Amino acid sequence: MKGLLLYILATCCCLAVSAQTEQGITLSGSVQSDMLLPQTDEKTGAEKTGDFLTNTYADLLLQSKYVDAGARLEYLEHPLPGFENDFAGWGVPNFWVKGRMGKVELTAGTFYEQFGSGFILRTYEERSLGIDNSLLGGRLVVEPVQGITLKILSGKQRRYWNWNKSLISGADTEVDIDQLFPTLQEHNLHFMTGFSWVNKYEDSDEKVYVTPAYRVNFPKYVNAWDVRISLNSGPWSILAEYAQKSADPSFANNYIFRKGSAAMLSGSYSLKGLSVLLQVKRSENMSFKSTNNVSKAIGISSAINHLPAFTQDQTYTLAALYPYATQLADGEWAYQAELGYNFKRKTALGGKYGMNIKVNYSYVRAIDRQFYDTTNDPLAITDGYSSSFFKWGDDTYYQDLDITVTRKLSKAFKLSLMYMNQRYNKTVIEGEGGIIHSDIFIADGKYQLSPKTTLRGEVQYLTTKDDQGDWAYGLLELSLVPHWMITVSDMYNVGETHIHYYQGLVTCNFGQHRLQAGYGRTRAGYNCSGGVCRWIPATTGFTVSYNYNF
Amino acid sequence: MRYITICLLVLLLNACDHIDREDRLIYEKPVTTKRAVLLEDFTGQRCVNCPKGTEIIEQLVAEYGDTAVVAVGIHGGPLGFSGNDITLGLATETGDEYYYHWNLEYQPVGLVNRHGAVNYPEWAAAVKEELSKPASITLSAKVSAGTDNALHINITTMATDGTCNGKLQVWVLEDGITALQLMPDGTTNADYVHNHVFRQAVNGIWGENITIKEGETNTKEYTQAIDPVWNVKNLSIVAFVYNDSGVLQATKVHLQ
Repeated sequence: MKGLLLYILATCCCLAVSAQTEQGITLSGSVQSDMLLPQTDEKTGAEKTGDFLTNTYADLLLQSKYVDAGARLEYLEHPLPGFENDFAGWGVPNFWVKGRMGKVELTAGTFYEQFGSGFILRTYEERSLGIDNSLLGGRLVVEPVQGITLKILSGKQRRYWNWNKSLISGADTEVDIDQLFPTLQEHNLHFMTGFSWVNKYEDSDEKVYVTPAYRVNFPKYVNAWDVRISLNSGPWSILAEYAQKSADPSFANNYIFRKGSAAMLSGSYSLKGLSVLLQVKRSENMSFKSTNNVSKAIGISSAINHLPAFTQDQTYTLAALYPYATQLADGEWAYQAELGYNFKRKTALGGKYGMNIKVNYSYVRAIDRQFYDTTNDPLAITDGYSSSFFKWGDDTYYQDLDITVTRKLSKAFKLSLMYMNQRYNKTVIEGEGGIIHSDIFIADGKYQLSPKTTLRGEVQYLTTKDDQGDWAYGLLELSLVPHWMITVSDMYNVGETHIHYYQGLVTCNFGQHRLQAGYGRTRAGYNCSGGVCRWIPATTGFTVSYNYNF
Repeated sequence: MRYITICLLVLLLNACDHIDREDRLIYEKPVTTKRAVLLEDFTGQRCVNCPKGTEIIEQLVAEYGDTAVVAVGIHGGPLGFSGNDITLGLATETGDEYYYHWNLEYQPVGLVNRHGAVNYPEWAAAVKEELSKPASITLSAKVSAGTDNALHINITTMATDGTCNGKLQVWVLEDGITALQLMPDGTTNADYVHNHVFRQAVNGIWGENITIKEGETNTKEYTQAIDPVWNVKNLSIVAFVYNDSGVLQATKVHLQ
């Protein structure tokens, strides 16, 4: 039966593609399929968990003047390694229709939404992590007057192939004050204020005992609110945001009834080649899940909100070896400063072609937490701890300083050099391992061999006395535009295991099709995006990746 | 007017989330035990949260006794440690086989009468529910150490509600093993005392078939060689009968 349904859906997709457009109606979509033929590899610990594994998605979108509709077919019956057990399955979990009329927009079905920075609501899809926490329900967006946007929504949250029982409802309003008072615009001032509220209703039948005689009385309602203001004037920009969450005892916070909060202040300056960013954030007890059920809440599913990590998302392999994951439940003080500057061409430092320098510093520290004595008082367990707002806790969770210099040395050769100094608290982020202090050196050179041929190479070295010791990495990438790219790379553990993680990939692009095939090993470790991380086991085998957009 | 209504609605819903401090916990009387419950704790020495699971087991055993709550610490899985020349490891190949057989994802995680994976905060609820269910068989065990450096085990079963088909499983457990354990605060405790540690499956990894008839007493005898690394004084035997519907009855007896 499932096979028949799959066939019908595939046929519909093909017909839709071939039909292309009726008058005023646009059809578009995409296919993404990542495949692995896994092999057992005693050296890396990789296991053959199946003959053929794939994560395949097909999106279809129909657009017209007044109505849009879309659906996504997901085939994850035999998924790539490292996802939670419940991730496996297939079906059409996303389907929606959206109507627009004047300044009113109504969505029914599944949808994604974010209020403000996402402190109290962010539903999104991140395929590499296996995250899709969309809501199934309805959303109304109204713009009653120019500059004021109101959103109201309600729905149940997706958790893999089911929707959690709780009902998530919320409202958000954003007022662009400069639109209401044009005088502000005349003075180049843009002023926005926003307020959001989210409610979780869950009539939980979950029974969790803090002692054999006492069980937690879960609140049926959890409320969260968020207020924010932003001011932009010329090159300056400031954003201040504060959110609070009512008592929400959960597995993540050890069933305490303490309120959660998040406060953020962010300022930036950007003008003529100079950019400066300064950010500070304090969060506490802000894990907000759409279920009290431990089995469903554990892991990365069922998250209602998202707190951005104030750390640089690293793209170089060794710089991303120890990635930071936001500590939602325990809380953190996070600071980030970034400076970017473009030295102009034909200056002493800029040279003939100019030079760019970027410095980033991130520091994440524990908040102060004084735990109550719970001896002989079960209720003290529910109090948790007291915390002084501005005081730090003892532990540094993460710190990095990275400096990147990019310079074109000749007409054909461009070089990027990066140095990174990192402190990673493995105990806090992964559970054990202590502080890993590392220095990372990266050189990335790109040479234009001919108008259609480019050779890029990376050399990276990470040195540390901790964990598995030093690592080395090398990559060569030959691009033959417009169709071909050949990549070979090797990551080698110098310090302890002496294992090579080699990889060879061939990528070809033809029109709207992109196909990548390769063979190699990947190391076990965390894959992170925006402060959310997923553990991936080691793999060895043939990989194929196919993308098609229409 | 519209904004006032919205504000009132927000205030009303905010009021709904409040629970007075004295109402945060609900007291529940201990259940009347009608049977023994098998709690398989899939644990590991490299698992920082596993001592939290052990704490819950200790609370349950203190409340209901270790003959009603038959806890077994099965070391294995990705966070298990099988030892090296310097450090004692408690993980076994059999423990690994159990862990992967049940398709478990996290540690600590438990099976309560083998009704699926249960995360440790939910163990107490699951154990209490199972304790209050009637059992369809009775099960008792005797164990003694002979001069032949072996354990002599006697298991007696009898069905009380029709004929039961299943498998009888007999395990050796050891208490009081001092060995390394990673702790929830990230520290390493080299002197952690591990109790009810799974040591050996006496009659095969998955036990042996058994048919228990109503009113009929069925006795089985086993001999198990004592491994030199075991501390004989701290050994005990766990026996249980299970089938597709879960564990029908369990029992635990300490070596006298």
